[in-house]
Amino acid sequence: MAQKERQQAVERELTMSRAMVEAIAHEMRENDEVFYMGEDVADYGGIFDSTEGLLDEFGHDRIMDVPISETAYIGAAVGAAQRGMRPIAELMFADFFGVCMDQIYNQMAKNTYMSGGNVSVPMVLTAAVGGTYNDAAQHSQTLYGTFAHLPGMKVVVPSTAYDAKGLMHNAIRDDDPVVYMFHKRLMGIGWMPAPDGPKTPVPDEPYAIPFGSADVKREGSDVTVVTLGLHVHRALEAAESLADDGIDAEVIDLRTLVPLDTETILESVAETGRLVVVDEDYRSHGVTGEIIARVAEEGLADLEAVERVAVPDVPLPYARPMEDEVIPGTEDIETAIRSVRS
Amino acid sequence: MSGTDDRVAVAAADVWPDDVEEDETAVVVNWFAREGRQVDEGETICEVQIEKVSIDVPAPVAGELAEIERVEEDELAREDALGWIEPD
Repeated sequence: MAQKERQQAVERELTMSRAMVEAIAHEMRENDEVFYMGEDVADYGGIFDSTEGLLDEFGHDRIMDVPISETAYIGAAVGAAQRGMRPIAELMFADFFGVCMDQIYNQMAKNTYMSGGNVSVPMVLTAAVGGTYNDAAQHSQTLYGTFAHLPGMKVVVPSTAYDAKGLMHNAIRDDDPVVYMFHKRLMGIGWMPAPDGPKTPVPDEPYAIPFGSADVKREGSDVTVVTLGLHVHRALEAAESLADDGIDAEVIDLRTLVPLDTETILESVAETGRLVVVDEDYRSHGVTGEIIARVAEEGLADLEAVERVAVPDVPLPYARPMEDEVIPGTEDIETAIRSVRS
Repeated sequence: MSGTDDRVAVAAADVWPDDVEEDETAVVVNWFAREGRQVDEGETICEVQIEKVSIDVPAPVAGELAEIERVEEDELAREDALGWIEPD
């Protein structure tokens, strides 16, 4: 333990936003075809600091502000990618996908298939997701399930700075379209402080985290908690709290929804027999149901009890007490873990 | 970790913008190093926010970050030190 603390004392730590930017900057230096475009990504540095500092190094030719014209610039990214460039297009809030879904769903995700493999679409679509800061129903959804449901795209959801950097390197290098969904609350920006956890040691050198590899963020033998994004940290907090009562929860961070690492979940459930799935997306037809279905299909005999914790099927409210009520908190996760053990 | 005379302050004044109102305070938003870490001169070691603007704070010298005086979410004024570095 002392050695671990010592190690942590000497390593550089980054916020998730800075880790993402470091990966993007590295890939832009290595490959002239990588560029970034979106609303307020150049002069402002991204409203969630997703591009902070990039303009200074790369200029307006490669860090491009665009008008509020999601269909146009995401469509432009698809075209550029098909011609061999490696665009990163930022959809400021995932909630805004409505106006540009044709470009995302019908072009970006499908053109490789529609062309019989004659074109690939090596682009990254970044989008901010999540609530917990009272910005109402059109700015606070996670919509993991919506994007993961559409075939043709890979879907990434980091929860720590270390993962954010490694997954971003992999996303930019991937020859397929990747949707990279970052939770605002994890970015480490001044006006929206992150919980303890997402700021981690981050190596200077580049490294890629392969898609489809879930990470066991906490080992435990009594209950398997499967989650992603902000709720990794809430689940870890719940697990630490329950440890005082002798309940040993394992916390699995999915890291990518497509491809989904079913194997790691099944192995864990085979040990614990009890499964809690936690998600900040809507309860119905989403990630929680998908995970439980996969475990039921392939590991039913191991499953003794199951519970899901998600946002009830109502649009995210604006009022703070109401938003707090619908977004799962640490106590909700604790309750679910206790429930599957009883 | 304190007590030596040759320590160099990570001074808020070094990054304090000239056009900030006189009685304005800043808030420490992020530290990117813990006590005991060896830092390079010019490396961003923390981030403060003044009048809603985030400002990176570079290490004034290379050395060991010996002490963090203002932790995250602490307020600070222009004349304050954020921490102390023992130079190489």
